[in-house]
Amino acid sequence: MTAPTRLARPRVEVPGSVDEAVRRLAELGPDGAALAGGTWLMRSPAPPATFVALHRIAELRGVAAGTWGALTTHAELAAAPLPPALRALRTAARTSAFPQVRNVATLGGNLNARGFAEADLVPALLALDATVEVATTAGRHRIGVEGYLRSAHGDSADPAALLVSAGASAPAGRRSGYARLTVRGGGEYALVSVAISADLDGAGVASAVRVAVGSVEARARRCPEAEAALAGTTLDEAAARAAGQAAAAVLTPRDDLLAPGWYRLEVLPAVFARAAADCLTDPATDHDTGEAP
Amino acid sequence: MNYRLTVNGRAAEVDVPGGTPLSDVLRDHLHLRGTKVSCGTGRCGSCTVRLGDRAVASCLLPVALAEAEPVTTVEGLSAPDGPLHPVQEAMVSCHGVQCGACTPGMVMTLSTFLDTTADPDAGQVREALTGNLCRCTGYHTIVDAALTAAAATRTPREDRP
Repeated sequence: MTAPTRLARPRVEVPGSVDEAVRRLAELGPDGAALAGGTWLMRSPAPPATFVALHRIAELRGVAAGTWGALTTHAELAAAPLPPALRALRTAARTSAFPQVRNVATLGGNLNARGFAEADLVPALLALDATVEVATTAGRHRIGVEGYLRSAHGDSADPAALLVSAGASAPAGRRSGYARLTVRGGGEYALVSVAISADLDGAGVASAVRVAVGSVEARARRCPEAEAALAGTTLDEAAARAAGQAAAAVLTPRDDLLAPGWYRLEVLPAVFARAAADCLTDPATDHDTGEAP
Repeated sequence: MNYRLTVNGRAAEVDVPGGTPLSDVLRDHLHLRGTKVSCGTGRCGSCTVRLGDRAVASCLLPVALAEAEPVTTVEGLSAPDGPLHPVQEAMVSCHGVQCGACTPGMVMTLSTFLDTTADPDAGQVREALTGNLCRCTGYHTIVDAALTAAAATRTPREDRP
């Protein structure tokens, strides 16, 4: 049973180990790309000649306490029993895209998709101060996700650098949350996405605040001005809206077909308020139906 | 490159590049044209098939990733000479089919969803359908069909009215 395909499609190699994948990615250089779930790469207008598929590498799978393999899907993250400190990651995974994509799209793919301003897990992992383990031809190392993203999306990115896993710590008292706004109720790219993490003391006062904003600029980024605005508050709605205004004052928004830049800035305070409310959701009373906000 | 798939319970072998979308293999090589390709970018859901126990967009799935688990398409949901799947029955009885272009994807998404959510409310059905677009905008009757199918699935066939 053969029929001509309409387009030249990439060939796929299936290495059995991280070392083998890294070696092949190094040999292929710009003619190869690591393939996880494929939901981003399969839409590339100019795919490489060869995909190095990772799905047979058992080491890249699996969710342990605070560590997620690069092939962990959005659906798996959404269903994982994450503590309140890591709620931002769960909310981001649960509300991203829609079931057919969440069932396939991976954490590693989300962090490595080039030109993907709306990647939902990226602001969540930035706010959680996540670290990633990276395998290269020179061996393995663990670095902060912010530094990883800078190198992986830079012009001199190492084509053989392979994300193995990501992890984040979950100290007692830490809370995090995430919110995104879409044109319809759900199932689309976010116009604005906000992730907040903070350590709350006995009175609910926030310190060690980390905030990341996605979808507004070409790449998600931390926003120190919003972090300063939230520090010392109880993450109440007024404080969250003020932090959103502080973020809007420093971000340079994108225009695209979904929304003009000014609109993204206008809605930032409202999305900050939703993200802060997600931080404060009591896990004991969280009757989560899975419906996108 | 030869890929060995299990599609609707049967073994199939195709000789294509591994980056070929599963939807192309199903339609052009295995002649299973119930799976529709509308947007081709994973947004509309008309190409939804089941891979193992997951609903996936087959237009975005490289065939190389489809070897490990069985594939079910709308043609495999019920036997050719058997009764329709409860979701298919309900789509008919609730008038959930208009032009029909989205219907196979809707049916595959809903049948997979109901396997894990036996007693959904309308909100959960709508959330489950966020990846399936109906260009006729017939969503209300499709949600009705899902709820009807869920109720029917909870009722043994011989006890149905």
